[in-house]
Amino acid sequence: MKIRYALAGALLASAAFTGSSAYAADLIAVITPSHDNPFFKAEAEGAEAKAKQLGYDVISLVHDDDANKQSQLFDTAIARSAKAIVLDNAGADATVAAVKKAKDAGIPSFLIDREINASGIASAQIVSNNYQGAQLGAQEFVKLMGEKGAFVELVGKESDTNAGIRSKGYHDVIDEYPNLKMVARQSANWDQTEAYSKMETILQANPGIKGVISGNDTMAMGAEAALIAAGRKDVIVVGFDGSNDVRDSILKGEIKATVLQPAYREAQLGVEEADALIKTKTAPKTEKQLMDCVLINSANAAKLETFELKP
Amino acid sequence: MRWVGCAMALSLGIVLAACRFIPTDQVSAIGAAGGTNGAAARDPDQMVASMWAAKVVPYFEKKAGPFLAARDLAATAPDQAGAKWGYRAKAEATPWTLMVRIEGTIVAADTESRAATIGVDASGEGKTDASVQIGPAMRGTAIRDALDFVSFGDFTNQIDFARFGKAFNTYVNHNTLEKLPRDDLVGRKVTLIGAYALDSSGEPPLVTPVEITIGPKP
Repeated sequence: MKIRYALAGALLASAAFTGSSAYAADLIAVITPSHDNPFFKAEAEGAEAKAKQLGYDVISLVHDDDANKQSQLFDTAIARSAKAIVLDNAGADATVAAVKKAKDAGIPSFLIDREINASGIASAQIVSNNYQGAQLGAQEFVKLMGEKGAFVELVGKESDTNAGIRSKGYHDVIDEYPNLKMVARQSANWDQTEAYSKMETILQANPGIKGVISGNDTMAMGAEAALIAAGRKDVIVVGFDGSNDVRDSILKGEIKATVLQPAYREAQLGVEEADALIKTKTAPKTEKQLMDCVLINSANAAKLETFELKP
Repeated sequence: MRWVGCAMALSLGIVLAACRFIPTDQVSAIGAAGGTNGAAARDPDQMVASMWAAKVVPYFEKKAGPFLAARDLAATAPDQAGAKWGYRAKAEATPWTLMVRIEGTIVAADTESRAATIGVDASGEGKTDASVQIGPAMRGTAIRDALDFVSFGDFTNQIDFARFGKAFNTYVNHNTLEKLPRDDLVGRKVTLIGAYALDSSGEPPLVTPVEITIGPKP
């Protein structure tokens, strides 16, 4: 029965969006942080493309890293009888209640990128191996710094487990080198503008810095812009995500390296796993799934496109 | 493994009802201090210490393959090498971690870097076939990643899982690697059992030892 409905829905593609027709396709809700960050935009696009390919209708919603707004969006998905939610969440602790609410309403959640601090509630948590990736980035940073010099760390948003895990990965490498001295460590909340102004201030107080290691690419972009504006193209900057912006910066010789998270693939995998559960009641083999990251520098940056490395 | 995960999830769920929300950066600190509200509070160093001799070493001794054969098979048929002598948590975006037994001669040593390594010639050709970490700075999580009885799903989040991975390195460093000689290494015989993650770099594998013996100066 469901397959007939789904096919009919796909044929009525443009009309099926509200789900009010009895022949509407099944709905998947994709919920992420703001698409201002190309990482989340790529996730949403990847999820949407795969969902449509598999015959679903999609609503793509943005929680702006606000747990209250996220909760309301979950209510929307429940009210619309979504068959699954694909989520990049607004806080590892705050999200547990929302995912549970959806589960109680019969809607499974497939988490991507950011995990929550609980198991057995989401159907999947597909996350990048941030620790492994951070070690790659830090090892490259240490090499570029010649194992010595003053540096700055920019940290991500506190409520996001990924901020802490990347910082830990960085420190587990960098702290082993006594001649590398961290002179400042601040959060710029994953935000490009905030990183720009914090970098300006930090640079004024610490003109002797040689490098900046950043928890993500948007902050690296902000930091790099501030450094260039101050005439400090010499400062070594390393980011994390693998965005097209940073790729371009690397190819121009500005930012030196980043670490690719397979964001597009994670989003698509989230939808694939939702589809398997919806259509065949097959749950993923394990809930928590780690996807390895890849170092990006001038050697391979040209092959990077929308969070995937082309062969 | 799923049952273990479910049981832990249930106990975590029961406890979560009584929890307050705390910022993520404090979570690890609390874990380190011995836990909170009776949840599955984990000291990763204690966990490793308690499983090392009883589970980890026997597992490695049983599963480790001969290094040269493993390396050569992995170069052409990684899934076969992985099935024989390795483990990976899942198929996609996760490299195989192989377990190997290496016997050879030390032909290179870098003890200047804190991430010290010895280059081991296992084939008798006089060059480094495997780069073995001897600490104190250790890279990667190969020991943890080799264990088929350890799962990311058993941990609250990546931070706890990473701390656990690091704890293996800390343990082998403190109990074995720190005691190794650091001078006049080139020329000495070495035998070891260890793990490494397969990659496509073309470089000699970076092996993390679980057991290692370095012979006397020649």
